[in-house]
Amino acid sequence: MALTVAVFLPLVAALLCWVKPLRNIAWGVTVVCLSISFALAVVSAHQVLVNGRSIGIPGWFEADGLGALMILLVSFVCDLAAIFAGGYMHHSERSDRLWWFYCNYNLLVFALIVVPALTDPNLVWVGVELITLFAILLVGFENTPNALEAAWKYAILTLMGAPISLLGFLMLYWAYRSAGGTGSETWQGLHAMAPLMSPNLLKLSFLLVFVGFGSKTGFVPTHTWLPDAHSQAPTPICAVLSGVKTSVPLYAVLRFLSIILASPEAKLGEWMVVLGLCSVAVAAFLLLQVRDYKRMFAYSTVEHMGIILTAAGFATQDGALGAVAQMLNHSLTKSLCFYAAGIVLLSLGTRQIRDVRGLFRVSPFAAGALLLCALAIAGAPPFPIFLSEFSILSAGLRSGHNAAVAILATLIVVAFVGIMLQVNNMIFGKSDLYSSPEAIPASCRTAVIIGAIPILLLGVFIPQPVHSLLVLAAQQLGGR
Amino acid sequence: MLRTVGYNLIQLLFVLGFAPLYAGVLSRFKENIQSKRGPSIFQPYRDLWKLFHKDEVISSETTWIFRATPYLVFVVPLFVTSLIPVLTDYPLAFAFMGDMLAGGFFLALGGFFAALAAVDTGNPYGPMGASRTRMVGFLAEPVFMIVFFTVSFVAQSTIPYIVQQKWVASSAAFFSPAHILLLIAFLMLILAEGGRIPVDNPTGHFELAMIDESKGLEYSGRGAALMKWGGQMKFLVLTCIFLNVLLAPWGLAHGQQLGHVLLAVPFILLKVFLFIIVLVMIESSLSKLRLFRISEFLGAAFIISVAAMIASIFSGPGT
Amino acid sequence: MNSAQVPLAIGFNALIAGLILISAFAMVATRQVQGVLRFFILQSALLATSSFLIGYSRHSIHLLALGVITVAAKVIAIPWVLKRTLPGEVYERREIEQVLNIPSSLLLALLLAIAAEFIVAPIAMASSDPVVRVNLPIGLAGVLIGAYSLIARREALPQLVGILAMENGAFFAGIAIAPDLPLIAELAVAIDVILIAVVIGVLTRDIKLTIGTTEPSALTELREEPQPWR
Repeated sequence: MALTVAVFLPLVAALLCWVKPLRNIAWGVTVVCLSISFALAVVSAHQVLVNGRSIGIPGWFEADGLGALMILLVSFVCDLAAIFAGGYMHHSERSDRLWWFYCNYNLLVFALIVVPALTDPNLVWVGVELITLFAILLVGFENTPNALEAAWKYAILTLMGAPISLLGFLMLYWAYRSAGGTGSETWQGLHAMAPLMSPNLLKLSFLLVFVGFGSKTGFVPTHTWLPDAHSQAPTPICAVLSGVKTSVPLYAVLRFLSIILASPEAKLGEWMVVLGLCSVAVAAFLLLQVRDYKRMFAYSTVEHMGIILTAAGFATQDGALGAVAQMLNHSLTKSLCFYAAGIVLLSLGTRQIRDVRGLFRVSPFAAGALLLCALAIAGAPPFPIFLSEFSILSAGLRSGHNAAVAILATLIVVAFVGIMLQVNNMIFGKSDLYSSPEAIPASCRTAVIIGAIPILLLGVFIPQPVHSLLVLAAQQLGGR
Repeated sequence: MLRTVGYNLIQLLFVLGFAPLYAGVLSRFKENIQSKRGPSIFQPYRDLWKLFHKDEVISSETTWIFRATPYLVFVVPLFVTSLIPVLTDYPLAFAFMGDMLAGGFFLALGGFFAALAAVDTGNPYGPMGASRTRMVGFLAEPVFMIVFFTVSFVAQSTIPYIVQQKWVASSAAFFSPAHILLLIAFLMLILAEGGRIPVDNPTGHFELAMIDESKGLEYSGRGAALMKWGGQMKFLVLTCIFLNVLLAPWGLAHGQQLGHVLLAVPFILLKVFLFIIVLVMIESSLSKLRLFRISEFLGAAFIISVAAMIASIFSGPGT
Repeated sequence: MNSAQVPLAIGFNALIAGLILISAFAMVATRQVQGVLRFFILQSALLATSSFLIGYSRHSIHLLALGVITVAAKVIAIPWVLKRTLPGEVYERREIEQVLNIPSSLLLALLLAIAAEFIVAPIAMASSDPVVRVNLPIGLAGVLIGAYSLIARREALPQLVGILAMENGAFFAGIAIAPDLPLIAELAVAIDVILIAVVIGVLTRDIKLTIGTTEPSALTELREEPQPWR
């Protein structure tokens, strides 16, 4: 029950934002609905911890450990982003169309929340495509040539993956049916039938889905839209994009991967490790020469998606635990990074790194937030990403992928250096700003402070329910 | 044995006699579709008769090639006729003299000499048209080859009669995706080799734009008649290959009596006239392609024929 | 329906598969923007016909319904939607230049079709269903050729039609291998396709309003350039 309401509430909010009398308070409506949604997501996660599953509508909307984790993440990040958007969007050039922005935003949140709750993989495809469509409209919201270029590249690259992944899902359905699967196709059913399905067919369909959804997640070589979209979109959208919108297709890919791993003959783990490392490598080296700080965070997203894929490719329980922990931490940290970037953008009005100097003297709040986030995302202790990356590296060593671990560790260090160098240049030094910066709106400050709490907390102490949820989620991913 | 030789002769006479009628009906229908009255369908016969009774004027600068080419161009389609199923669907006496590749080479031989003869006179328009014809020809050759290879692969033989029995008559191959692809590729080929729109304008008199017509430019009297007739026969032969071997096996004589064979004649004529309608509609709705777009046209035909080959290789032995 | 008509229906399906492949090639080779759209409508109509034929031969209501949905969504709704969102002069454009010239593009498309056959050959051969043997390779070929035409084109509308053509290909394979997909999923996919057309149409209109042309490759601001190291 809680699950169903949590999932459909954003849809209701979208309808409310569209209704003419409520257009002026669209922001309030959004925040209220999303907060209720988040509360219900917590309830649903609790149900999962107690019962193993949380049932919304049996057969259509059910959440297991991994699903509940994703729903929790999505609702938290989107809620916080909505709070942030309140102050930020007033400065945008199209503030007369804000009701449309929030309506679209709620539709996007609905699509994001519904995907982890669905049990039928084909509907998961529809959900992921809907996510893409709504996100395209939001990326191009500012209507400048740069924003439109970003939206166009994003649209073409990700929509190109849509029919490819559709074919993959259809083949999966075919494999399920020819192996004798009856009834409707669910993730659970697929897991059970996995050893009976033809390995060639499974591998081909996974390849298609990997290519199709991988373009939405930002795997190399289809990652080229990511820096553009994540830097040109309005900042709250960037936070949602980087934080959860790249994780949700990754969630679908990982679910599919777990089915592959359940079949003893289809061996794909090693390939996943290699592909993940490619993503990390490209992102790490591109980080060294980036000009725009929002693009810098976007490349960091590509890097982390690669790390998660590598971890899942280790095909062990430890690797899976590391992967889901990384997903959790990355979503929380990356959205905070974009809030910090948004604050800097608001204060100084420029996206270029070389134009930002001595931020510390100009706006201590923005500088502090940026420094915190940069350390967190780069993987410094005592922040949560350090913990999850470390657990991934140790899982890799334990499962014998020594070379991969060595390469991964090196690349993480390269990325660390890249991020810290750029941020260092931005924060310290002499400021050459002649005019006083814009004031930071209260809602933005609130969002940053609320968002920083989990980051500071999870780095040192993981509460028991959170840990149990992570373990449950890792079990869904399979592996030894 | 003697009977099949006789049938072969009947086939030759069929092609010889009905080729000008084919050309006449085609031009008349084309004019009709444009709401004009058009020449009589027997006009090509009258033209041939008139040309045979005229004097020939031959330039003294030409060699034996110029004099020999009209005879060659006239005889080549007749050779090919005895290789392909025109009236009957069982092999006749000379059917095993050569296979489809031989047929293709013969037709190319005629075209080769026609191009040489066009260069022979020293007239500027001749070589220009000859070079264009060769360009179209060399782009069309791969399509010929691949179409033949594909049908031979499926039918496990290269003799047109056997291909016709196995390819067209069996419904498994008839309804494969390869079939329709081959049909379209070969149709584009016929348009190119026969010098129809969209490759060339057969009714144009503007020498600078001529491709296929230019081979007959310098001839007069008997030579001109033979070139014209030979060209008409070549087009009829290509049409027969298309219809009888690739598209529609119906109407061919199955029995061994003379009556059956003669009964096949109106059926074949009916099929040919139906094809004329299709051809006229294609010609009237397209415009002539610019010269360098012809390579795209024939490139498309090549691609389609290779796709047919791939489709038949992958699904052929299994279905 | 008697048993003699069933193989005929399957035979006609093979014919339609060939025509779908030709329409995919034609979409790569056409210069006119409106020509691309017309070939797409033809391809969608062929897909619907195939769906009707297979549904008829297998007594499957699902596929008949899918055929109706395809006609409604792709043959009727999408062109209407595009006419509404895009300004009229987009349709009069001709693309004189593509990324590669047309014969090379066609050659590449052919190689992609061959590759598609190769990729699915072990799977298709393992199946005993003649419809699967025909539809699966040509469906995958349609997807790959559509992807290529998406990359090779410069104008916005042919790129969109490329995406929709890829969906046609995926569906063509799908009606053979997953004929009893729940109707909800098929409806959802159809709506999704319409939404794709809407979104891209809106984007194209915005691009045209902002920079005056519908060639998205004219937007080249966002890229990395090496900066002097400090």
